[in-house]
Amino acid sequence: MSQLPHTVRGVDHVAFPTFDPAGTVAFYRDVLGFPVVHSICAAGWGPEKHPDFIHFFFDIGNNDRLAFFYYFGYEPPQRGIKGDVYARFEDDIPDFLVKSRHLAIHVDSETDLMEYRRRLDNSQWPVELQVQHETIESIYTHDPNGYFVEITRALRPVTPQEDLDANLTVDALVDVAKGPDVSMAALLTRKAELIVERAADWEPAQR
Amino acid sequence: MTQLFMLDVPENTPIVAVADQDPHVSVDKVGPYFRIAADAPIVINRRATGCRHAVWYSSVAGLLRSRITQWDKDAMRIEPT
Amino acid sequence: MALHRIGLVVPSSNVTVETELPALLRRHPSADFSFHSTRMRMHTVSAAQLAAMNAQRERCIMEIADASPDVILYACLVAVMMGGPGEHRRVEGAVAEQLATGGSPALIRSSAGALVEAVRAIDADRIAIVTPYLRPLAEQVVGYLESEDFKVADWRALEVADNADVGRIPGERVLEAARSLDLTGVDAVVISACVQMPSLDLVEAAEEEFGIPVLSAATGGAYSILRSLNLPVAIPGAGSLLRADTVSVPA
Repeated sequence: MSQLPHTVRGVDHVAFPTFDPAGTVAFYRDVLGFPVVHSICAAGWGPEKHPDFIHFFFDIGNNDRLAFFYYFGYEPPQRGIKGDVYARFEDDIPDFLVKSRHLAIHVDSETDLMEYRRRLDNSQWPVELQVQHETIESIYTHDPNGYFVEITRALRPVTPQEDLDANLTVDALVDVAKGPDVSMAALLTRKAELIVERAADWEPAQR
Repeated sequence: MTQLFMLDVPENTPIVAVADQDPHVSVDKVGPYFRIAADAPIVINRRATGCRHAVWYSSVAGLLRSRITQWDKDAMRIEPT
Repeated sequence: MALHRIGLVVPSSNVTVETELPALLRRHPSADFSFHSTRMRMHTVSAAQLAAMNAQRERCIMEIADASPDVILYACLVAVMMGGPGEHRRVEGAVAEQLATGGSPALIRSSAGALVEAVRAIDADRIAIVTPYLRPLAEQVVGYLESEDFKVADWRALEVADNADVGRIPGERVLEAARSLDLTGVDAVVISACVQMPSLDLVEAAEEEFGIPVLSAATGGAYSILRSLNLPVAIPGAGSLLRADTVSVPA
């Protein structure tokens, strides 16, 4: 496990293109209530031909920000039959992959989750799916750009043994991915070996 | 010996409890993991555990000398290799 | 000789920046400069007009960066100082971010920041200043400089409200105001803490007369531009600030 000092402070911004700035602002600012906290108006002054653009930022809590680029006079040709405005796919790409990339935003309580549910349900972008199992509860929708958005709460805090388990999974995955048999069965076998090797001596980190 | 590992977190304890009901199965701890072991196939009935799907399908942390021959909404069956 | 493009963001009625900066930098022994401006509309130096001006900043930077300048001087000193302590850093930061996001390598400096930089460069702590402003605005300028840890020992406000008129204040009146300052214990005189009030012809003579360094918003601006481009600060006839890198030849 890494001994390096860990001084990063979360998401300065995660940025996506949009070709519908009004819809994007309506969704994040007006429906979800995420404040607009920054904007930059710029031209493309670098060597590549580049339109004038606006880069604007919404606060998504914890001083983390979600940012969009809007390019004046530019919209790419629509390709594929599914996906969002950034990543488009043909029919041969399964939905599980199309939906794999998403932003999940955290809330602390059931009350907060239901309030965001209420805001979405009262808008053009109602909740498409609500899922609960023993450890998390989430609501999902697509924003005006087709980006898949999740709002989620943890039903119980993550335990220290889950941190250990996650690290064992990742170590097993890295080992298996280098080997001849890259499969879940191989991963579970490798992970069992690591459990036997390491778990007996594991002490939870001091509180 | 077939060995199946499950992390000791609240969602998994009902599964371990059901597995433990079988007299051929022994359950002990390796750190924070339950080790469920037997010389014969281990069969766990999902409905008996009361588990929902997301927990059921992510409950296995590791397998030694065994393979999963059934893992569906009815049961999990682990056989020695 | 290397040609350096200087972008100027000036209040629309300002004529002095585009007169004094080229006049100064033309004297440089080894570098050539071209000047390209963009304007912010303003006639009266009032709080409301100044706030409206700052809103035009984004448009001005968009325009001037198209000309690929090497450095941009945001030449409205009092508009920045009206924004409160540290405002020049915020403005320069916002402009730098705008330039960087669009991939422009242009550097940004401001007249307010340049004045602070210049006073620090000559190690002055106690200064005296002449401004053309109405008293409340002059007090803001004094407050801003004091927030940068300078002591403004004495100051004058010539109380000329119209910016076009500020550009026509005769040198005699500026010099008279400077001579009226109490220079006890003062390290340097800012003979014009304003980018519109002309003072270039006064700086050298005033420095000889007072016996202490004399600078202006314009000479500060030239200093900051030269430093930003790593060019020698060697401009004759405009005060000792601009002779920082001039090697004296013994008589």
